[in-house]
Amino acid sequence: MDAARLILAWAVVWIAGVALVRRVYSAGAADRVPHPAWMAGAGFLAGAFVLTLVMRGVAVAGGPLALRTVGVVMVVLTLALWLPELRRVRAWRMAFFDAAGWRSAPWPAARILWYALLAWLAVRYALLLGEVLRQPLFPWDAWTQWGTKARVWFELHHMVPFVSAITWLGGSTSGYVDAAPHYPATVPLLQVWSSLALARWDDAWMNVPWWLLGVALALALYGFFRDQGLAPLFALTGTWLIVSLPILETHVALAGYADLPLACYLTVGALAGFTWIRRRTWPDTAVALLFLCAVPMIKIPGWIWLATLVPGLVAGLLPRHGLRIVVFGWVAAIVAIFLLGRYEPTIFNYRLHFDLNVPWHGLVEAYLSFANWHLLFWVLPAILLATRDRVVSQELVPLTVVVGSGALFLLLGFSLTSAAIWVEDQSTVNRATLHLAPLLAAWMVLLVHRALTARASEKAPQPAQAPEVTPALPAVPTVDA
Amino acid sequence: METRKLVLLFVAGLAVTLALYLALAVPGDWFPSAKARYWTAKDLRLARGAANLNDGEWVLQSPDANAVIVLSGDAALRSTDYRVMQWIAVGLPPGAEVQLLWRTDYEPARLNSIRVPVESGRLRPVVVDDNPAWIGRITGIALAVRGPLVQPVRIRGAIAKPMGAAEVLADRWREWFAFEGWSGTSINTIVGGADVQDFPLTWAVAFAILIALGFYAGLRWRSLRDRRGIVVALVALTLCGWLLLDARWTAALVRQSRETARFYGGKDIEQKHLAAEDAELYQIVQRAKQTMPATPVRLFVAAEAHYFRGRAAYHFYPHNVYFDARNDRLPPASAMRAGDWLFVYQRPGIQFDRSQNMLRWDDGQTHAAEVKMIAPGAALFRLM
Repeated sequence: MDAARLILAWAVVWIAGVALVRRVYSAGAADRVPHPAWMAGAGFLAGAFVLTLVMRGVAVAGGPLALRTVGVVMVVLTLALWLPELRRVRAWRMAFFDAAGWRSAPWPAARILWYALLAWLAVRYALLLGEVLRQPLFPWDAWTQWGTKARVWFELHHMVPFVSAITWLGGSTSGYVDAAPHYPATVPLLQVWSSLALARWDDAWMNVPWWLLGVALALALYGFFRDQGLAPLFALTGTWLIVSLPILETHVALAGYADLPLACYLTVGALAGFTWIRRRTWPDTAVALLFLCAVPMIKIPGWIWLATLVPGLVAGLLPRHGLRIVVFGWVAAIVAIFLLGRYEPTIFNYRLHFDLNVPWHGLVEAYLSFANWHLLFWVLPAILLATRDRVVSQELVPLTVVVGSGALFLLLGFSLTSAAIWVEDQSTVNRATLHLAPLLAAWMVLLVHRALTARASEKAPQPAQAPEVTPALPAVPTVDA
Repeated sequence: METRKLVLLFVAGLAVTLALYLALAVPGDWFPSAKARYWTAKDLRLARGAANLNDGEWVLQSPDANAVIVLSGDAALRSTDYRVMQWIAVGLPPGAEVQLLWRTDYEPARLNSIRVPVESGRLRPVVVDDNPAWIGRITGIALAVRGPLVQPVRIRGAIAKPMGAAEVLADRWREWFAFEGWSGTSINTIVGGADVQDFPLTWAVAFAILIALGFYAGLRWRSLRDRRGIVVALVALTLCGWLLLDARWTAALVRQSRETARFYGGKDIEQKHLAAEDAELYQIVQRAKQTMPATPVRLFVAAEAHYFRGRAAYHFYPHNVYFDARNDRLPPASAMRAGDWLFVYQRPGIQFDRSQNMLRWDDGQTHAAEVKMIAPGAALFRLM
């Protein structure tokens, strides 16, 4: 019964999100509706974020956080968004199977490999679900600063404020306190929704949204890759490379931190933004903005991650001079940070200092020695070298610049702030990198695909109108429709 | 180049990587005749200092900075057969001063020593065969640990190793596939096997790919300008390596899943908390909550260990809990009001005078209070 309530509650959220995303895209050009897997993945992210907005709205309106308020709003929203879509369900289902691209698959082994990889992923997600459902809230910050808020809001049925320790000790009568009272409400609200559905406090089952986020990220990535012209097996391989990163899966299994949700929204938001830069349609803008709005509402460093997207926007919108402006901006930012470092200001709890002290040992351990990232950071320089002519191609330069800005932020953050200690002791380096890693890996997959496609095209005979050629990787063969 | 050939190149790269590693890591013969010699904790005796033999482990603890604890064992080894000594120990503090001691029949009166490096609380293996005093027949071995040892150090035994190629590979295999299990640091980093590794699997796989790419370049040197071929080879070899690492991670997840199921499978949330590592604290907090009003009250939590402060506070919500997440410091008495509550768990320095109903803690601060619950190592007070 509990399981049914939980499934139903999150199904409503998912359906509402898919319907919302679907409506947004349908309102644009009808022939530019994205791949159904993208709709499903992005739909869950949209639904979960909208849910937290509804909960905030209910709280601001003075209503209790309860199924009869939040639940009713969500159901009404779902029906309102979904009913107009019902008549299109059949067409949509057909589109899904068409999009899978198997009808004209030239290589049957590719289909077998595709299903084998899907089964591999299914086993992993089944294992992760078992961990989420069985283990009570386990990692440190989850029970000192995130789950604390969820417990209080669920039990009291309203979003009582969390105040600083000084305010609390000063005699605040209504405020609560925990290890990070100033942190945003989005993540705890997801746990509150699970708890409302269960009608009891269960600090294992309430973490189901972390697993759902993992599934949604995989779906969104697969759909994105398919929309970018990757063949099904290529797209699924790229998805597997990203979602199989051990530190990412650990954040699913040991649910309760905000890093995985931040990574999901940042990745999907940036990819939606990339699509917008290429197509310039308002539905892409709307979807990208929705996800990117969520980023700073999940974790405060989200503001900095948002800032790292701006150079990508500049590079994408100003194809002639954008890259030069970005490089100039990067240099200016580095100089400004060094100058600021003389005054040792504290920004988002990180104390800036003037000395450049790259914690190489900690970085090498985290990125290259330990199992956190499989081979991601070993392969990165090789991919960059092998696909160097694609890295700053007009098409991919916005993503390149976003990834570069993110990497610069991480490197400067680790080298010029008090965070250097947390690199050496491995406490923060991987969690901070996790925010960017799925996007970085998606960009690498695109680089490889574009490099292979371009070179296949170059090698092909050039008649008056050259046929479209898809790459023929041995390990990731193309079987595009 | 077709897929099968690229997979073979990867396998060849892996074989060459391991061969190169063995060439660097094996100190002598690849195939020595001697077998490893083990000492369990029971084979060792306490020669100096204070320690207890407990559950198959020597437990060493001494807060005295000058204390030296020595565990020794008898031996009868030909020094030329054994090149590496390894002590199995956990819980050593960073910078601990540890020495391997031994005697030989060559100079029976002389006590020889070599420093044993500490890494992540464990002792690294020590190569002894290049030490001039490792000569003749080894008649006794010992481990000397200098204090202070605030936390207990556990010594499980020692191994003298001939260190042939098979033994080196077996050691690496054990390190690569050791069960890591969820711990407090798992959310921050996944090591991938044992905490300390001589040659991490990620490095081995990366070198294998590099060497395989070298082979590829050698085989295709005429067409190296075809960058597409290089990209294809790079991607295919990376996928092989990734699959290998991912298989290890999946196996670790399967094993972890069994462990989690063993602890928590089939239990409701209450039973899960009673099976968790802080079960004792959880039970005490549940008892305390029964003593407290049903509506949330202001509550201070005091415990020496920040883990217990945080956990106790977490279990007390939705009461309005105050706990210092970083420091073991109670707020000033002026911040406490009549009607507030105080929960104390394993926190020395807090006294209660029953005759005067008075609490006293750090810096002589006091507050009137009545005791509401007492449990082993814990107490709940209502401030007046």
